[in-house]
This record gives sequence, C-alpha cells and structure tokens, in this order.
Amino acid sequence: MIDVRNLSYVYSPKTPFMSQALFGIDLEIRDGDFFGIIGSTGAGKSTLVSHFNALIRVQKKSGTVIVDDIDLAAKKVDLNRLRATVGMVFQYPEHQLFDDTVEKDVRFGPKNLGLSVEEQKERAKNALELVGLNYSEFAERSPFELSGGQKRRVALAGVLAMQPKILVLDEPTAGLDPKGKREIMDLVMRARSMCPTVVMISHNMDEIATYCNRIAVLGKGRVVGVFTPRELFSNRELLENGAVSLPLVTEIAARLHEEGIDIDPALLTEEELVDAILAAAGRRGGDA
Amino acid sequence: MPLLELKNVDYSYPSGDDDYIQALYSVSLAVERGEFVALVGCNGSGKSTLARLANGLITPDRGFVTVDGMSTDKKENLYDIRKKIGVVFQNPDNQMVTTVVEDDVAFGPENLGLPPAEIRERVDWALDCVGMREYAKSGPFRLSGGQKQRVAIAGVLAIKPELMILDEATGMLDPEGRAEVMKVVTDLNRREHMAVVMITHFMEEAATADRIIILDRGHVVADGGRELFERPEVFERAGLMLPLPVRLAGALKKNGFDLGCPLTVEQFVAETKRALTERKTDGGGGSR
Repeated sequence: MIDVRNLSYVYSPKTPFMSQALFGIDLEIRDGDFFGIIGSTGAGKSTLVSHFNALIRVQKKSGTVIVDDIDLAAKKVDLNRLRATVGMVFQYPEHQLFDDTVEKDVRFGPKNLGLSVEEQKERAKNALELVGLNYSEFAERSPFELSGGQKRRVALAGVLAMQPKILVLDEPTAGLDPKGKREIMDLVMRARSMCPTVVMISHNMDEIATYCNRIAVLGKGRVVGVFTPRELFSNRELLENGAVSLPLVTEIAARLHEEGIDIDPALLTEEELVDAILAAAGRRGGDA
Repeated sequence: MPLLELKNVDYSYPSGDDDYIQALYSVSLAVERGEFVALVGCNGSGKSTLARLANGLITPDRGFVTVDGMSTDKKENLYDIRKKIGVVFQNPDNQMVTTVVEDDVAFGPENLGLPPAEIRERVDWALDCVGMREYAKSGPFRLSGGQKQRVAIAGVLAIKPELMILDEATGMLDPEGRAEVMKVVTDLNRREHMAVVMITHFMEEAATADRIIILDRGHVVADGGRELFERPEVFERAGLMLPLPVRLAGALKKNGFDLGCPLTVEQFVAETKRALTERKTDGGGGSR
C-alpha cells in the first residue's frame, strides 16, 4: 500500500530556479493494484514516484507518503527496508548496468542488503529465470554485449532480486519495438506472482488500457482524478481538454459510434472491437 | 542523382576481441528529393546503423554511400553532407551541447557561418515548429525527455537540411508530442519539400509515409508503397506488427467481413460504415 497525503514538492527552493512540481497530491495505491499514472510531460509523474523509494525525500511541511508502514516523511527512514519493499525501474534502465558480468550486476542489490553470498546467488538466479534469461547461459556474460531487450531484462532482474512487494515502472517499454514491448509487459505480469502491486507511468494508452485497473491522471502537478480504464476513456471532459488520449482501439470504437453504428464507444481491446463490428454486421443483416 | 544512395553496403561492428557483428548485408537503396520514407524493422535489424552511415558518422566496410553524389568516405565532403542531411537520434541527452535551449538550437546555424539576424530567425522558427518557443531561455537539462527531444529536432531543423532522418525520435514522446512532431515533419515534407526518412516502431506512423522500407537482420526485405500493407506476411516474417486498422481488417475478413486494406483510422471507419450500410441493403435481398 502506498498512501500519499497532501504531498507537495518544490525543486531548487529559495533559489531563482525554484519551481513547484507537485501541489497537494492525494493518492491511495492499494495492495494488488496495477496502478497507472498518466499525464503530459511536466505533469510531475516522475517526481511523484521518485518519492516512493525516497530518491526524493518528502520536504518539510509538504505532506506525507506512507509505504506499508514506513513513514517517508519521518526524519529517519530505514532505506534498506524501503528498497526491499519498493523496486524502482527507471526509464531506459539498461543505462544503469555497470558490472562486468550479468550475475554480479543482478546480485548487487541483494549484496547491499547484507545477504550471504549463497542467498545473493540464489536470488540472482531466480530473478534471471523470472525475466526469461537462462542462468547458466547468461550469468558470466558481460551485460554490455547483450541486445537492447536483453539488457533491459537484466536491469529488471536486478530490481526483482530485491524481492520487492511493490514494483514501480517509469515508461518500461519506451524505445522497444512492438515485440519487445509485449515481452517486457508479459514479464511484468509474471513478476506479479512476487510483487502483486505495480505502479506504472506510461504514455502508451494501449498499455494503460490493457494492464491497469486504476489510473491517476496528473496535470501540472495535481491529481485530476483516479479512474478505471472504462471511466477514463469515456470521460468526455478529459478527452476534450487533451489530458487523456484514446487508445487506438477505443478511438475507432468511438468514431464508429459517432457515425451512428451500434457499438459501445468505450471498448478497450481488439477482440472486443472485432466482435462488436461483427455483431453490428450480423444484427443489421438479421433486422432487414 | 538521388539525394542519398547506398550501394551494396556491408557494415560490421566490432564486438569484444577480434570479433565482429555484421549489421548490414549488401544494402542498396536510394532516397530522392522530397520523398517521405518510413524505415521499419525490429531492434537489431540495422536501422540505426543505416542512419549513421547516411551522414558519414561511420563508413561502409564494402560498397558506398553518397549524398548528392558526394561519397561519405571522403572527409572533405562531410561538411557539405551534414548541411544536406540532419539526423535526430533516439536519445536526446546525447545531443545537447549547451546550457540554454536557444543556444543549442543555434549551434548548427552558427557553425554554418550565417549572419546573426538569420540565425535568430531560424532559431525562433525551429522552436515554433516543435512548440518549444516558451522554453527558449531554459536549461536543456531541466526539461523532460520529450521536451529535450523536441529541442533536438529544432536543432536539426535550424540547419534546414534537404533530408531529415529521425531515428526513433518520437519514441520517448507522449502521444500528443508524437502527433505534434509528426505534424511538423509532415508539413516540412509537404510545404518545404524536405525529404524525410523516419525510422520508427510505430506502424501507424509508418502507414502515413509514401514509401516503406523493411529491414530484417541487416537485409532490405521489402521496399515499396503503401500497397505493401496488403502483404501482411512480409511484416510478420520481419517480426513486425501491422498497423491496428490492418490487423482489425484482417480479423474481420477471417470472419467473412471484408473491408479491403484500410491503413488509417479514418479509412477504417469509412470502410466499416460503408460495408455495414451495404450489408444492410444486401440483407434485404437475402444474400446470405
């Protein structure tokens, strides 16, 4: 559970470069949520989630963030415990690989937790298998010789080796080809057996529609609202003011609906849309 | 004489000691003035290598690359080549050279030795094109990834090249930002007849190009107009997904509802509406 109450954040306070990124954010992310965070560039998405593992500390008199029972606004935060609870995967995580073998890179986190070498190796092995990389094949290879998609898996394995309960993903599929995107999302779904709660920042409305059960819309540092996918993509106001764009499937359904065809304008998947068009075709044939 | 020509180009990257990975195999293609070409392929297909070859950042192992007849393997040609071909790369962080946005955009025109008034004009125009005028005085490092990428595009625009190559340059933008950049690029192509080679994973974007080149593991496997989309097997073999309207039409056709091959959302909606109306009329005659 992540409980955010009245959270504000100011970059470079008391300098000429001061700029406020967050204004009184209230959010509750529940256990088991696949929680989406959307909003245009500069909305404060990354600033918000950087609080969740204390990369950004809660500023004085700027609200609270509670992760499980860890109060991040407290003076002293047990960072080891926090980082074993919240796993953070940044944009282009493969840029953060640094060690000379895959295995050492993945076991860096567990090592910092003070686990025994055996436990570290066990965790690295499990994490690599979880992201679909065969341990004996990849353990001793240099991460820098791998393909882009493989590097990203190694980076993800490094986070999963911490066995977090909550996984926070910032644009996890950015820059990948469609097959690579699908693979990474499949892998995230598999990882949920370990960390059932996922928070995902994404610009990809198709992914938001497919995977998230609740979605927060941020705009200029404020929460515009929290919605289910169906509520979100049928919210006229948000669509009209450009805060939300439709997944392509929904856009087609909405346009067909506007054209007077009997189709639910808030369809989310390709299968739903194909079925709906076939139904419209069948029904019309039947009516005549 | 084509603006850009590759003839029988082989290229290999060094990988570890005495080892090479071949990225391109005997690639031949030509881009003419004013063309709008989409270059598609999976990660690792050789697309980015091709972009780097085009403006002489790297030179082929075999075969040749010429820009307006000038070979890229002659150092004395590179200045003129880079006036004609601008490349926007994937990662904007590697493309920023100054601490103020407008200085960054002015970097190219300054190197061309243009008079200050013209530099000013080009910088303002380029920033307007990408919707970043209000950030002219900001530091690039305070911008979001998407904003930085728009500045990088402005920097290339300010050189007013005859050909702009976008190497997955929209990959990091939000849908709105992507649509804006696509509009800018399309306008530059139509109005200023700037040739565009767009390297992309977004098949919906590729479908707006006049010509599509498919790369698969270093080989050009297809090069043609939009009619290529009527041959889904070509895309599937190269590991690519078809644009959503084509996928939907394919699924509908399997169920006996034939729409032809709509490439865009507009075409799909129009064709579906037409087919449903026809079916209604047919239905009266008991054609099924």
